[in-house]
Amino acid sequence: MTPNELSLTEVADAIKTGAVSAVQALESCLDAIGGHDGAVNATVWIDREGARSAAEAADRAVAAGDALGLLHGVPLAHKDMYYQAGKISGCGSMIRGQWVAPRTATALDRLHDAGSITFAGLNMAEFAQNPTGHNRHHGDCHNPWRLPYITGGSSSGSGAAVAARFAYGALGSDTGGSIRLPASACGVVGLKPTQTRVSRAGVMPLSFSADNVGPLTRTVRDCARMMRVIAGHDPADITSAHEPVPDYEAALTGDLRGMRIGLVTNPGLMGTDEPTVDGIAAAARVLAQRGAIIVPINLPVMDAVAAYGSVVSRCEGASIHARWMRERPQDYAIHLSARLYAGYAIPAVYYVEALSARGRLLRAFASEVFAQVDALILPTIPTVLPTLADTDVDHGPPGTETRFMAVSANTRPFNYLGVPALSVPCGLDPAGLPMGLQIIGRPFAEGRIMAIGDAYQRDTGWHRTLPTMIQ
Amino acid sequence: MTDFEQTTEDYVAAWHGIHPPNNPARRMAADLTATIAAFEAQRGILQFEDEPSSFETVLREFKE
Repeated sequence: MTPNELSLTEVADAIKTGAVSAVQALESCLDAIGGHDGAVNATVWIDREGARSAAEAADRAVAAGDALGLLHGVPLAHKDMYYQAGKISGCGSMIRGQWVAPRTATALDRLHDAGSITFAGLNMAEFAQNPTGHNRHHGDCHNPWRLPYITGGSSSGSGAAVAARFAYGALGSDTGGSIRLPASACGVVGLKPTQTRVSRAGVMPLSFSADNVGPLTRTVRDCARMMRVIAGHDPADITSAHEPVPDYEAALTGDLRGMRIGLVTNPGLMGTDEPTVDGIAAAARVLAQRGAIIVPINLPVMDAVAAYGSVVSRCEGASIHARWMRERPQDYAIHLSARLYAGYAIPAVYYVEALSARGRLLRAFASEVFAQVDALILPTIPTVLPTLADTDVDHGPPGTETRFMAVSANTRPFNYLGVPALSVPCGLDPAGLPMGLQIIGRPFAEGRIMAIGDAYQRDTGWHRTLPTMIQ
Repeated sequence: MTDFEQTTEDYVAAWHGIHPPNNPARRMAADLTATIAAFEAQRGILQFEDEPSSFETVLREFKE
């Protein structure tokens, strides 16, 4: 088995025992990038020299018997909006294309303290504001399963890079689905934690009420490892929760006996085409075989959540972009400046109403749903995957924006509600593109939804299936 | 252009000094009629004492 075939946790364990060197792990990632990134376009910068130096140091530490972190020597690449002091963080944009970050993101500091090596910055939607992976400035990111199809966004490069074995794991960010959508579209695992679970300090803002930091990985166990490292209160982000961080990996037992899992039946949310509906039904059967009790459930307050949720992110996004929208609107992609523009027309009273109703609606949702079930399942994306051309607002006919926004219809509600949501690969659609199973839990139930996802992966092989281009 | 679209453009220009950058922007602004309808449908949900900080309270109240 080559280093590139190992998962993040497997390679971390192999580096610790000396079975694989950090240099070998890094070179396997660089080889994969050299072979396929010309077509996929997942990276925007690569620090080969710095990473090789760090990998050699990591190997010396192993040889010396030093204390090693949970991710010692593991090469990671991250969405290009995680600031590193003194380095450019372009945020997928022209406007910040040469902007040098003054500090390093807390999440990156924690990953580095655990021994990981950041060796590349990854393509993303401009300012993290599209669900497809289109990018006018760096070029669109392409799905490694089939290049004409969307990767999902906004963490497009994170999904594509992990799927194409360019990196063992990646950070993404999720304000309306931007971790889960690329995870689903690219056939990898992605977790949007509970709002406040992971510090946002040193991360490009989009909508401060709904932004989340989280990992994209090959397996749920990998995701649990990264979450243990990055979660927890941070004095630099006063909104981050003081909740203790559990050993998420220890909760991955494969045992779902007696767990009640709600199969969402709301029209639209349950999927809008046959392959998607069938894919989730098949996943539910796998969970039932593990001992889970599957309960059909119609989610309450979804109309209110949809109405309010869209207003919060649009107003907050419009607010922080106002200066550039006045001074250099031509430097945004059409789909982004169009979306931002509409945000300026929403009255402040609507925005405050949407924020003020959030607690009331979360209580109505949680008290009804979690009295019946422990977790929910539904498709991450409600349809089979569209192509980049189908969803190209900048060049498509009027109405393309509807198809574009439909991609995130099943993820946005859970940002407004603030609850944790995991996407796990659950099959291939008739065109051979991945589908994602979305698992929702109550606040701070990351451990439970990862336990469900891990149990599912014990009985299925979708997370081990490679994109055609790298088979 | 409808009255709503014209009023919206005038409002954004007056309050923010921002003008429609392209036709999709005009279409998305016109679609705000759907946002208005969605808010109309929710009238009565918000209570006098509700405020944004209640969200963090409820997150903790329903935690695992």
